[in-house]
Amino acid sequence: MFSPAVENLVAQLTRLPGVGTRTAQRLAFHILQRPKPEALALAQAIQEVKERVRFCRECGNLTEEELCGICLDARRDHGLICVVEQPVDLISLERTHEYRGLYHVLGGALSPLDGVEPEDLRIDELLRRVERNGVQEVVLATNPNMTGEATAAFLADRLRNRVRVTRLASGLPVGGDLEYADEVTLGRALAGRREM
Amino acid sequence: MAGRSYKTQAVVLRSMRLGEADRVLHLYTLDRGRVGAVAKGIRRTKSRFGARLEPLSHVELLLHQGGGELQTVTGVDLVRPHSAARDDPYRLGVGLVGLEAMLRLFSEQEANPRGFEALTRFLDLVDELPTRAPARPALDPLALAFQLKLLWLAGYLPHLGACAECGEREPLVAYLPRAGGGVCRGCASGGLAVSPGGFAAIDALLRSPLADAGALGLTERDARETLQVIASSYEYHGGFRLRTLSA
Repeated sequence: MFSPAVENLVAQLTRLPGVGTRTAQRLAFHILQRPKPEALALAQAIQEVKERVRFCRECGNLTEEELCGICLDARRDHGLICVVEQPVDLISLERTHEYRGLYHVLGGALSPLDGVEPEDLRIDELLRRVERNGVQEVVLATNPNMTGEATAAFLADRLRNRVRVTRLASGLPVGGDLEYADEVTLGRALAGRREM
Repeated sequence: MAGRSYKTQAVVLRSMRLGEADRVLHLYTLDRGRVGAVAKGIRRTKSRFGARLEPLSHVELLLHQGGGELQTVTGVDLVRPHSAARDDPYRLGVGLVGLEAMLRLFSEQEANPRGFEALTRFLDLVDELPTRAPARPALDPLALAFQLKLLWLAGYLPHLGACAECGEREPLVAYLPRAGGGVCRGCASGGLAVSPGGFAAIDALLRSPLADAGALGLTERDARETLQVIASSYEYHGGFRLRTLSA
């Protein structure tokens, strides 16, 4: 229906997560309508990101150097490691401005049903970091869902008696009303209540 | 539009990410058997559905059937969260074996109330299961009993009364999937060696209620042989292997 070049662009865009054929066609026509420098800037950005960006040797975060900016920052607490599933989780935690330690990106969560086993994640690297760098505490910040909880439980077991292990609290979102909370989250909030 | 919505009880078997904040759920429903559904926005922290639609959850759902293959979740009430099963790695391991067996053996959109009842009963028992770690969850008597009962419901009940090949009432020495049960020494060629204790364990697990599985006193050898019989039945009759059995 379209020229082969447009068909190819649509096909490539369809490979992106959450992009169906119709959205891909819309994006392709948008790119066609934009001035050439703008469209080429997008192509160049994709090329640069693929050529320059890699995983931090220490924590698995995205970086353009051997080590990421967080691992290189001497002002951060190097005795504290926060374990997350993906780099995007790290960004969410950084937005809080509450955490001043380092991170460790696992690259996913354990899921026996999907065939994701411990050796598929950066778990051995975490254990080596804890042994080698005199880490005092590991904060488990995997997602509060079944696979994330299973991963946290597995890591807690492996790290027991080596280092202090903590888990992110679960509970009610700030600014919400109690009456709208679901029973599972509210139950967790009750179980994890703190003394005032 | 309202005419295509319906309410049913369901167990969440599997949950996969879809798009930015959605999930695709594999459900086993009381009214329609296996159903695939999209739960929109449940990965957002403000979602009220997210916590209720984790795998193992027993829920009452309001589903909308549109034109596509996947239905849409429009309402959720929690019947049993099975949080206790999720909170302990051993219990979770046992629960996941049951979920994967259900996923692979009952893949049709066809109601099977006995299958649904067995699944919910199994999950209730997993909540109270004493941990046997560091033993493998796949060898837990409850996981073995549930899988044997599912094989029974799926029509693959291992025949243990007499030799499944020649019909003679000789002592059984092996399990032959193509014969559908235990076989005597004369017919054992190509079969899986099973001890008398192993056959007795399979028989006891099939005859006893799920709740009694843990009290049957299975030895580790009995459990291993039972697991091998189950796994070879899956391979022969269904052409699949369960990933959770190797964990």
